[in-house]
Amino acid sequence: MKCPVCKEPMIVLELNQVEIDYCHQCEGIWLDSGELDLLLEGSKDKENVIASLSKKANINEKKIKCPLCRKKMDKIKTDYIETIILDKCVKGEGLWFNKNELHKVLLAGNLNTNNPVFQQLKSIFEYKFKKN
Amino acid sequence: MWELIKANQRKSQILFVMMGLCLITLGYLIGSAYFGAAEGGLIGILLATILWLALSLVSYFAGSSIILSVSNAKEVTPEVHSQLFNVVEEMKIAAGLSKMPKVYIINAEAPNAFATGNSPENCAIAVTAGLLAKLNRDELQGVVAHEVSHITNRDIRFVTFAGVMIGAIVLISDLFLRGFFYSGGSSKRYNNKSSGGGQAQLIIFVFAILFAILAPILARLLYFAISRKREYLADASATRLTRYPEGLASALEKISQSSEELPTANKVTAPMYIINPLKRKGMKISDLTSTHPPISERIRILRSMAGNYNYQDYQKAYSNVKRTTAKIIPDSELAKVITHVPVASAITRSTPISAKAHQRNLGDIMMAVNNYSFIKCDCGLKMKIPPGFAKKEVICPKCGKMNHVISS
Amino acid sequence: MAFIIILLIIAVIVFYLISIYNSLIRLRNQVKNAWSQIDVQLKRRHDLIPNLIETVKGYMHHERETLESITNARSHAISAKTVTEKAGAESVLSEALGKFNLVVENYPDLKANQNFLALQEELTSTENRISFSRQSYNDQVLFYNNKIEMFPSNIIAGMFNFIKEVFFELENKTEREVPKVRF
Repeated sequence: MKCPVCKEPMIVLELNQVEIDYCHQCEGIWLDSGELDLLLEGSKDKENVIASLSKKANINEKKIKCPLCRKKMDKIKTDYIETIILDKCVKGEGLWFNKNELHKVLLAGNLNTNNPVFQQLKSIFEYKFKKN
Repeated sequence: MWELIKANQRKSQILFVMMGLCLITLGYLIGSAYFGAAEGGLIGILLATILWLALSLVSYFAGSSIILSVSNAKEVTPEVHSQLFNVVEEMKIAAGLSKMPKVYIINAEAPNAFATGNSPENCAIAVTAGLLAKLNRDELQGVVAHEVSHITNRDIRFVTFAGVMIGAIVLISDLFLRGFFYSGGSSKRYNNKSSGGGQAQLIIFVFAILFAILAPILARLLYFAISRKREYLADASATRLTRYPEGLASALEKISQSSEELPTANKVTAPMYIINPLKRKGMKISDLTSTHPPISERIRILRSMAGNYNYQDYQKAYSNVKRTTAKIIPDSELAKVITHVPVASAITRSTPISAKAHQRNLGDIMMAVNNYSFIKCDCGLKMKIPPGFAKKEVICPKCGKMNHVISS
Repeated sequence: MAFIIILLIIAVIVFYLISIYNSLIRLRNQVKNAWSQIDVQLKRRHDLIPNLIETVKGYMHHERETLESITNARSHAISAKTVTEKAGAESVLSEALGKFNLVVENYPDLKANQNFLALQEELTSTENRISFSRQSYNDQVLFYNNKIEMFPSNIIAGMFNFIKEVFFELENKTEREVPKVRF
């Protein structure tokens, strides 16, 4: 799969049998909907997390294309911090985080990121976060 | 083995001639329908024969590579899946093949497999990534043995040829029927000709249309009658190779339980697969047009062999399950009994794998086929590097360790 | 005239004997060839064992005896010369490996080790290859031995010292279990 931002081939990171795609160049992250399902399987937060990641934002940021279906992705607001805008595939193939977006979500300590999705991302990027 | 092979070859020849006749009749009727009975019929026969020869040549020299590329199969090295290579090599030894078949993987989730090629020296076995992810070692061995049996029974060339021949018949009939309906009948043609020939011409036309509709069906029926029996035979030979009917039985059971359709299979290639890759939707088509025997029956036959593996055991189980006295294995073959009992001691892992693990397993096979390289960092994070990756090192984002990229 | 006829008869007999001789040679070569197939696989097995021991040593502290018995069986198998000796030594080795496979079940960490799993796969495959090539070797030996015993080839065999070959029989305790019949 190619990074939707810098078009480089992305590497795949696997931890606890769940994969994410990661661009080594721009440090953006693609979270596939299938992998999201695997992460949230049997979790009580399932609905909350999905709901928190589905509010459309009316913002004029440059749209990027979904790496899977090639359609332009929607901008969505997160419940975590209003100012963070993520990209979501219109067909529901997955979610795109820019480097800073993930950091902001995870580093804003007062937020409830205590769900399997963010725990997984936190664990995979342990070293990167410590460094920043 | 030899009588079995000879019987198969004889049937292939009969089929070959009958399909050729079908094609030539079709050519004759269409030719005379359009250009008059005398010279038109000859032109039709000539064109049909040329097409048939051309297609046969193509199928002989390029048939298997066309089939493999249409099926999206990729040739792989032992590093991609060592177990698959091991199992193929074991069956090569068991069947006494002089050369190792080429090994291909199809990146698809539906579990299935086929063999192709034009001789035991020049052949290939293709399996899907889904098959590798789903089956354990004994089951995989059963499937590979079934495919190797198609190779040693000389079925693979027959399937390729028959596929091409049916393709030609379907193509000509289709073109003719389409041309006829699009031009809105043939009234213009008659007006140019003398009115006397019109009546006879019309009759020929009706015949041509009828035959164009019937020929593809006829060719398929002929083919299916033979190909189904060959599936039973390949099952029998496979158990003789592995000495373990349960491996194949359990593989067939697992394969039949999956609901995925194989996107790269089509009507021509479908008969080659170990089970029909095209799932039927809605209404059931009669058993006559099925390329494969009912899978539940194949499983029942294998299971009622109760662990025995000689041809006579298969024949007995076949007769019991199907309640028939029909012979599917020639007498001289039935008499050959393997007395030595070498035992393949596979270490079966009985623990069922979770859906997650299965998904990962499948994904890893597909990535390996596409030349990804795999790095396992000491901290437990797995990194899967795509083939076009430019850098020589990656920092593990979890623990910060520098890992070298082994370019594949 | 009579002389020529006698000469002709002698010539025919000589050609006949030569053809018997040649077929004996051919069969003996086939036996040798089949044996070399087994030998390749036996060697493969011997080469895998040191790797295996090295990999599991760190995990299996309480199984010194099992591991030692494998190492010993291996060195016996390597030094064995004749087919009978080899068959005996390889049977012992197979048995030692069979015991080892049972013990492995008690070490879940080991069973999760990729390196070990890869080795185990190679070992399983080697066992299978030995089994399957053994079949064709024994078939060849059967043809050859029959030829030596039967008239008239037994005369030629006796004259030129063709000796019967030995079957390669292994005792194998790790049978795949036969499932119960289900309907």
